[in-house]
Amino acid sequence: MISLDYDETLQAAAGHQAEEIRERIMREHPGEYVLAVEGNAPTGDGGVYCTVAGRTFLDILKESAEGAKAIIAWGSCASDGCVQAASPNPTGAKPVHEIIHSHPIINVPGCPPIAEVMTGVLTYILTFDKLPELDRFGRPKMFYGQRIHDKCYRRSYFDAGQFVETWEDDGARKGWCLYKMGCRGPMTYNSCSTFKWNNGVSFPIGSGHGCIGCSENKFWDNGPFYTRLTNVPLPGVESTPDKIGKYAAVAAGVGVAAHAASYAANQGIKKAKKNRQTKKLLESDKEE
Amino acid sequence: MARRVHPINIIDVARSPHRYFRRKYVWQWPVRIFHWVNAVAVTVLFSTGLYISHPILAPAGEPFNNFVMATVRQVHFIFAFIFLINFLWRIYWFWFGNNYARSGFPFFWRRSWWKDLFRQVGDYFSLKRGHVHLGHNALAGLSYTIFVIGLGWVQIFTGLALYSESNPGGFWSKLTGWVIPLLGGSMQTHMWHHLFAWGFIVFAILHVYIVFYDGQQYKNGLVTSMISGVKFYRNGDLENDKWLS
Ligand code: HEM
Ligand code: HEM
Ligand code: SF4
Repeated sequence: MISLDYDETLQAAAGHQAEEIRERIMREHPGEYVLAVEGNAPTGDGGVYCTVAGRTFLDILKESAEGAKAIIAWGSCASDGCVQAASPNPTGAKPVHEIIHSHPIINVPGCPPIAEVMTGVLTYILTFDKLPELDRFGRPKMFYGQRIHDKCYRRSYFDAGQFVETWEDDGARKGWCLYKMGCRGPMTYNSCSTFKWNNGVSFPIGSGHGCIGCSENKFWDNGPFYTRLTNVPLPGVESTPDKIGKYAAVAAGVGVAAHAASYAANQGIKKAKKNRQTKKLLESDKEE
Repeated sequence: MARRVHPINIIDVARSPHRYFRRKYVWQWPVRIFHWVNAVAVTVLFSTGLYISHPILAPAGEPFNNFVMATVRQVHFIFAFIFLINFLWRIYWFWFGNNYARSGFPFFWRRSWWKDLFRQVGDYFSLKRGHVHLGHNALAGLSYTIFVIGLGWVQIFTGLALYSESNPGGFWSKLTGWVIPLLGGSMQTHMWHHLFAWGFIVFAILHVYIVFYDGQQYKNGLVTSMISGVKFYRNGDLENDKWLS
């Protein structure tokens, strides 16, 4: 049975009663309850940036995790840190798996995660009484085993080489692939292109916008969203790999050209010297 | 010990060159095969790679008429594996080839290597013939180590990691998938793979120029040596390879 006893949007209790319920679950069901965490805990300055009922979220999280059977990190905040953890991360926000190391953690990233995926994970645990198989990043393989790109209905346009170039062009109208508009589908593992959103109504690519990769770690720092490649992380400059590469190639070309020119000039000087000497010899011959 | 050859007398050289120049088989066939397969593979990989990130052809018609992007990616992957096998083959040959096959190694713990390196740089600035090697000089060897072996490993690992994305948990994913989180994600892996691709262009510009320049200076059949395997040498040239041993 699923009983959402402590969940700020669904619980009946409020205030001290709500906190009491949390404590009661921990007392009465140690090792049995699943702790599903939303949001992440700021760890800077002792965790003061997120305080619930006079205690830091960090503190409450650690305490509640102790007796949990497993922890689910709902959404990209709890799984990866998300926007709160974006560079330079002033509050020291950390995803659950960087705070708690003693319990199995299931990451269910997405900003937000798909409702069916969330319920699917819980239902799986309930039905089979075990945790779903996880990938390298602690995500359930059954929902995060394929990329958006692998099941995207615009994939045939990708393979054909037909891409949207601007939001107003003919390709955009015909529903061509959004790769050149910065679509993160090729690097994002999630189920959006498989069962879509809101009971299968649509999903971002279906609405004509590229995927922003919201279920991938660091998507919030991987801008710009509308270009395919991120910038090279050089301090102080924003540069694409192509720009830096071209500068380097031009520098090499200029170096080579300068060397060739000085070699040619050097050869010319030598030749001129020799010519002058021969001329002198010839002239002195004439005089004799 | 260098074999004795006569001092140069231009008329006599023309009449009987073998008395002045000696030939030596330097690049064995595996090195030459490696070289040209590598040069072709790098060229194809760079151009297909750049196309993958800027696909500009935009063919008309319906998707079922076209397979442009998929074909370019397929070619990139095929040449990637050619590049990889060729690369591993050359590393194998480092141990089993002749001494010249090892001459590119940066022996940075030897003083003689550093001396050769600075002498070579000096030669390029003074625009003189300088000292001629049969194997790679220290500077050339260093450039191959950094630009071909070093960049090669970077491209192989980042490339295979990207390749493995379509099958997480599969063979390539187990072998090289760890590269992606190490670099901070798939976006960063693409970015580095793309940035370092340009390293090969920088190398090719410098390398091809230097080969032709050296060939002009040395007049020892350098340019064609990567085809025939043979270089010529004069009195004293062999001395310059002594630092290798
Ligand atoms: C000399 C070696 C190589 C060069 C110059 C090169 C160049 C490139 C470039 C410029 C890109 C575009 C990157 C982007 O914008 O996303 C690319 C993509 C790629 N390369 Fe390479 N590459 C090389 C070797 C390899 C190797 C050894 C592999 C291994 C299989 C590989 C696999 C890939 C993959 C999977 C992609 C991504 C394709 C996609 O996103 O659809 N590359 N390469
Ligand atoms: C017209 C084009 C080229 C010519 C004529 C050429 C010629 C040569 C020659 C003569 C050498 C031996 C130089 C020495 O004694 O140190 C050499 C070595 C080498 N070249 Fe090239 N090259 C060409 C293009 C390239 C390209 C495009 C690449 C790769 C990006 C490349 C990679 C190498 C490597 C790795 C070596 C070292 C060979 C070894 O020890 O295995 N070359 N090349
Ligand atoms: S729209 Fe995005 S996910 Fe779909 S095929 Fe194009 S690149 Fe892949």
